[in-house]
Amino acid sequence: MPTLVGVFDAPGPVRTLADKIKGRSLGELEIYSPSPFPEPDAAIDKKPSRVRLFTLIGGLTGVTFGYWMQIWMANDWPLVIGGKPFTSVVPYTIIGFEMTILLGGLLTVLGLFVVGRLPRFRLDKGYSPRFSGEEIGLAVTCRDRDVAEVEALMRDSEAKEVTLVDA
Amino acid sequence: MTPPPAEAVAARLASAPVASDSKINRDILSVLDGASLKYWGLLGLVVLGVAQAVATLAYQTYIGMGVAGYSHPIFWGVYIVCFVFWVGIAHAGTLISAILYLFRAKWRNAINRGAEAMTVFAVVTAALFPLIHIGRIWKFYFMIPYPNQRGLWVNFKSPLLWDLFAINTYMTISIVFFYVGLIPDIAIARDRSSGWRKVLYTILSLGWQGTSRQWKAHNRTVLHLSGLATPLVLSVHSVVSWDFAVSIVPGWHATIFAPYFVAGAIFSGFAMVLTLLIPVRRIFGLEEYITDYHFENMSRFILLTSTIVGYAYGAEYFIAWYSGVEAERTSFFMRALGPYWISTWIMITCNAVFPQLLWFKKLRTNLPFLFVLAFLINLGMWFERYVIIITGLSREHDPAVWGTYTPSLAEMSILVGSFCWFSMFFLIFLKIFPVVAIYEVKELAIHENAHGGAH
Amino acid sequence: MSELDRRDFLKLVGASAGAAAAVGCSDPVEKLIPYVVQPEEITPGIPVIYASTCRECPAGCGLHVRTREGRPVKLEGNPEHPVNQGTLCARGQSGIGRTYHPDRFAGPMRRGPGGELEPLAWDEALSLLAEKIQANPSGTYVLGGDVGPTAGSVVDRFVTATGAGGRVVYDPFAPEALRESTRALFGQARVPRFDLSDADLVVDFGSDFLDVGPAPTEHARQLAQARDVHNENGGVRLVHVGPRLSMTASNADEWIPAKPGSEGLVALAAAHVALRERGGDASALRSLGHVTPADAAARAGVDAATIERLGRALAAAKRPVALPPGVAGWSRRAVASAAAVLLLNHALGAVGRDVHLEREPAGRARASHREALRLVEAMNSGAVSVLIVHDADPLYSLPAASGFGKALEKVDFVVSTASMVDETAARADLILPDHTPLESWGDAEPRVGVRSLLQPTIRPLFDTRALADTLLDTGRAMGLGGQLPSGSFRTLLEQAWSGSDFRNALARGGEFRPQASGSAPVPSASAMLQVAEPMLEGEGDFALVAYPHSLLYDGRGANLPWLQEIPDPVTKVAWQSWVEVSQATADKMGLKAGDVLAVETSAGRVEVPVLPRGGIRDDVVAIAIGQGHSRGHYASLAGDGQPGETRGVSVLALLPSVTDESGGRAFLTARARVTKTGGFQRLPLLQSTDNKRKRMLGEALPLAVVKGEGHGDGHAGGHHGADLGPVYANEHAPIEAYDATADSHEDSPYRWGMSIDLDKCTGCSACVAACYLENNIPVVGEEGSVRARQMSWIRIERFVGEGYIEYVDAPERGRRPQPSNEVLGKTDVRNSPMLCQQCGAAPCEPVCPPIATYHNPEGLNGMIYNRCIGTRYCSNNCPYKVRRFNYFDYSQFNWPGLFNLMLNPDVTVRGQGVMEKCTFCVQRINAARQGAKDEGRPIGDGEVVTACQQACPSHAIGFGNLKDSGSAVSKLGDDKRGYHALHSLNTRSAITYLAKVTRDVES
Repeated sequence: MPTLVGVFDAPGPVRTLADKIKGRSLGELEIYSPSPFPEPDAAIDKKPSRVRLFTLIGGLTGVTFGYWMQIWMANDWPLVIGGKPFTSVVPYTIIGFEMTILLGGLLTVLGLFVVGRLPRFRLDKGYSPRFSGEEIGLAVTCRDRDVAEVEALMRDSEAKEVTLVDA
Repeated sequence: MTPPPAEAVAARLASAPVASDSKINRDILSVLDGASLKYWGLLGLVVLGVAQAVATLAYQTYIGMGVAGYSHPIFWGVYIVCFVFWVGIAHAGTLISAILYLFRAKWRNAINRGAEAMTVFAVVTAALFPLIHIGRIWKFYFMIPYPNQRGLWVNFKSPLLWDLFAINTYMTISIVFFYVGLIPDIAIARDRSSGWRKVLYTILSLGWQGTSRQWKAHNRTVLHLSGLATPLVLSVHSVVSWDFAVSIVPGWHATIFAPYFVAGAIFSGFAMVLTLLIPVRRIFGLEEYITDYHFENMSRFILLTSTIVGYAYGAEYFIAWYSGVEAERTSFFMRALGPYWISTWIMITCNAVFPQLLWFKKLRTNLPFLFVLAFLINLGMWFERYVIIITGLSREHDPAVWGTYTPSLAEMSILVGSFCWFSMFFLIFLKIFPVVAIYEVKELAIHENAHGGAH
Repeated sequence: MSELDRRDFLKLVGASAGAAAAVGCSDPVEKLIPYVVQPEEITPGIPVIYASTCRECPAGCGLHVRTREGRPVKLEGNPEHPVNQGTLCARGQSGIGRTYHPDRFAGPMRRGPGGELEPLAWDEALSLLAEKIQANPSGTYVLGGDVGPTAGSVVDRFVTATGAGGRVVYDPFAPEALRESTRALFGQARVPRFDLSDADLVVDFGSDFLDVGPAPTEHARQLAQARDVHNENGGVRLVHVGPRLSMTASNADEWIPAKPGSEGLVALAAAHVALRERGGDASALRSLGHVTPADAAARAGVDAATIERLGRALAAAKRPVALPPGVAGWSRRAVASAAAVLLLNHALGAVGRDVHLEREPAGRARASHREALRLVEAMNSGAVSVLIVHDADPLYSLPAASGFGKALEKVDFVVSTASMVDETAARADLILPDHTPLESWGDAEPRVGVRSLLQPTIRPLFDTRALADTLLDTGRAMGLGGQLPSGSFRTLLEQAWSGSDFRNALARGGEFRPQASGSAPVPSASAMLQVAEPMLEGEGDFALVAYPHSLLYDGRGANLPWLQEIPDPVTKVAWQSWVEVSQATADKMGLKAGDVLAVETSAGRVEVPVLPRGGIRDDVVAIAIGQGHSRGHYASLAGDGQPGETRGVSVLALLPSVTDESGGRAFLTARARVTKTGGFQRLPLLQSTDNKRKRMLGEALPLAVVKGEGHGDGHAGGHHGADLGPVYANEHAPIEAYDATADSHEDSPYRWGMSIDLDKCTGCSACVAACYLENNIPVVGEEGSVRARQMSWIRIERFVGEGYIEYVDAPERGRRPQPSNEVLGKTDVRNSPMLCQQCGAAPCEPVCPPIATYHNPEGLNGMIYNRCIGTRYCSNNCPYKVRRFNYFDYSQFNWPGLFNLMLNPDVTVRGQGVMEKCTFCVQRINAARQGAKDEGRPIGDGEVVTACQQACPSHAIGFGNLKDSGSAVSKLGDDKRGYHALHSLNTRSAITYLAKVTRDVES
């Protein structure tokens, strides 16, 4: 299927355009932007990112493992140290906390990779270096017969130019 | 026969030439290209500095810690001082990128990349010192709780072990944070480079192309990492401070240590950011991005933290007096008037007195002044740790074995080496990665344009 | 180019892997060498103990030589021996080093044409000596120390047989003046023996009996016994009369800082007062001239009231004893001073009661300084062609002014039998090395009724020969076999002991008969001695006091590493010489510790760093005898027996060659001029201040409080030191009682604990030496000591008074002391041994990341060297600062020569970079445990004796099981003087210190 790529200067029009195309379900949408733009991104999907789930799991695992490790190891070979109890929860809190942060952080990044589909080994056809400049790209993959309509829509909403890739 | 529309359209649509690239990209990426002779000279110099320190370390490991200046009962010296110093430096970066991010302090965008880099390199430097310091460096792994045939674990009650975990967590998280922030910028560099850089950036950018899904995940990740890093950055120097506060050494055993150390860390961190960014901005002409406004804000932070640190100094003396414990009082009097009075007064003037000049707006934006001040603060903060560690140990509970300590040549060599080690990383960083977070600057810029357009 | 196919590749990989593995396990292969025929008395791992005799000083203490697998590893006191009764001083213990010393001669040597020593065979050497003697028999002299009755007789036989010029017995510290005074007073020459065990007042007129004395271990024990606080009126009072606060003075209850050499005057005046008080015949005193208290006071530089008080106290005392001046006080008037003190004793009825005038043992050789000087004359006149020097280092220890060094050049052939290099041996033409005492047979008779044996405890390590055998063989080589006893020295020894059961004597270390207390002779008024000032030579504002270093003795200790390493008990200086001046003098001259002074007398000039003290008269400077050797691995800076820079200076170079009335040797002979050179030398000062700042260390209590009068009363006998809060004057009052027995595993029957009685501790440092030798502790030398890097597991802290809290410190770098807390004429010195307290709540444990230190089930604070990575956090967190760090790999270079043979196989030698500390001699605990286990019983009280406890001459240290309520240490723990060091830190220490008791000398 052909992909039309419209090049825009401002996020605003992209948003409206994206909504139109979605509304008329003309095809698959993808937005390329040099920096994050909430509005058009919202057009793609409105749900909050699932990354937060990873963070939660990581944090919980971290704190449990952290405490467990210390308590288990201290009792595995119990040695009296400074006349203190083997299971001294208060000092163990520190490493418990550090483990929370560590695993939480690492799983968050894992989340980024999973949710953001990274790493990927081939760039989209629709992608162009200009989108890491200052322009925003809206790529629409649609059926042949809709190409003209999509193009028209793009033109109407101040697309600087429109290109057809992968005809 | 009429051609199908697609072809018709395709025929009409000539792919247009790429519009001129954005100015931001050009300005910031220009830092990366072409290293001058001066640059190579400087790099060579610091590499030499690292080499001599490595030689010293080898010698010390072979001969024994006796080559350092230790003398009973002062068993912690310059190495631990440097450790605390560098950990402290490492705090500004995360503070700027995490805490200010949560506070939506947009001005951070221009400086956070440099600050984060500094953080990473400072932690990497700090992490070396506990190893350099221990008597049997070849047995350092005894500190790590790994299953071993001796069936022996480690002592989780020891502040040094807390350190081990805190520092390594902090190092991991700051590196991750640093890298996550870099991905979009690496992608930018990828699209505009060739040769080995192209290869390097292609690999490191992980195929980033700024799709809305990626941006969404990215934002969320940065948000969460900031959320995690914020308590972390506050905890790390607290833990380091507990190395001292948990002991029973007069002058160390104080509840104020955690906040006192954290404030000091941020204080010294910002000073180090200034020390690095002022020359960088000047040499690479980034005035448009790193503006006086940024420096003024950082000056405000320095002023605030300096005041906190100054207060802590006062509080320490007050409590020593108020506690009525003779050992405590003695320890603190000896600090100010004993063998180490010079160090003590350097610390007080550099950290608590000079920065107060920042009450004047003129000075807050006067870069030469800030540069000098930043240097003094770094000096003062190094001496703060020196004073705390050495004077504490030199005047303890048993007056019969009060001692004095003088750093040895070996320690000086490794001290110098640590600064070279740090600078080496930073110099390399300057030429490999954008020193300013491009996409974040753009975010600001483009938004302004957009709103501008709306009006 | 050949293809590398898969098989070859795999082979290569395998090979390299194998190689890697091989390299990996590169530990040296060690073999266990079994005894082919195992000596029945040796069981590997079980020490064999031989009884022998100490030769480090004339006291003649009995030894128990602990040997392991045929090697002496430690010297301890022989419990059966009447002199030391099982204890041993630092010098005696360090004597073991002579056997393994790197400076030992490997065999006979002769001076070659080039002047360097070259080895030769014994028979060659002996025939060489023989012909030299034959050339001029009458020109042959034997000069040397006391070698015991049997060997001595052999020497005499040799001298007579060869028709040699004579034998001169030489001992720098021989008590000739004392012997002479007895002759003058009582008609017969005796060497009085002073027994302090039952005295209630001891006045020490400068004998310094705890420093070097006639028998320091014995006197320390007796003092401790007399000082027991449970004795009636709370134990003996000790008064010291002398110019400086010596170790003995530090232990006194009162110090009368009289001018040096004026002790006789004070004694005489006191005697007059005493006689006046208690009534008695003063006629005897007249023979020494009449001295009124006022007169004496004026001449001695003290006030008359003091002397009056002293006299009255003596009169009031039930069993007073007065001791005559020691080495430092021997002046031109030494005999008179000694006589005065003896008369005082007589007037008080002490003679015959606690002062025993026994006849000297028959075999006891009398050293005579006059003889030595005559020999020097003879040498100068060229009459001496062969000089055989044995068991002495006259070139060092004779005053330089005597001209012995020059005279030696005139001697054609100098022979030395020294077993290791010293000044004299270095000048010898022929060296016929003797065995060391641990390799030798021999005997000694320190006093009547005490016959003590030496027996070999190891086969001679080198090609050496006993002095007696050397002489016998030489004689035989000269064809004088007929006139000499036949057989070897060993057989002669057995003959000499034929009268008694030799085997039994070997087992017990000698033959000890109850000592016949001497009769009390009547003084004959014939003696005409003038008690007067010392008459010092030369100009200068200061009297020069040359006193024997309590560890180096007459300098013979200087080449033993431990005696150099252990700081001087009074000044805490190690490895160096220093000149003591008063604080006032220092302030006047603007001197700080370490400033180099030039000390000049009529006889010579030395430059030596200064150490200002409060505890010395303003008109006195003092330098210790013992340093300033130019030879010796440890004694000199050159080391390895090569000539070189001296370590420190020898005060003997400053002394004119002067004798007392009897021709005995005088040391208090010169006035000194002192000038600043502007130089500075950092002294190895091992204690930074003697001001304890009122902290809970080295506590002391007034007798009244201990006796239960005054506050602190109503002792519940509860927990250690618990209720003593109000008693102690310092601000660190105990916080709460705790039960140390709770600090070991509930299933364990033991909680090891220690008690240290500061009232008995004299600071002599015998425990420190014992610890060094028991636990293989390395010595760090002068450079290390300057940087306070000493490794000792136990140290003696010397505090003066409660101290004062002074917040401002002199802003100086370097380990310089705060001004001394000592005050002239005051003595409130607390010697407090500091070692690992084996805390129940040890601060060192929680901070160690790899659990290298932990609390073991028996309550010990275990240190696991293998696990230690050297973070040194434990030391930071130890309030007692008893943990040491291995700065270097001492195991590699710290035991030169054969010292490694001497290491205690039961104790690990620590490697580079680890911490170490006192273990409560855990190896001894385990040894006891094995014994008890074999008999299926728990370890009993007193079965475990730690090295420090074992050595302590005054039995100040107790060790045992705190869980056994019957054990001595638990009982002592409940003593009302008990306290814990730095109690307020709540470390739950296992060591209970018993506070020193301060007593007033009532009159």
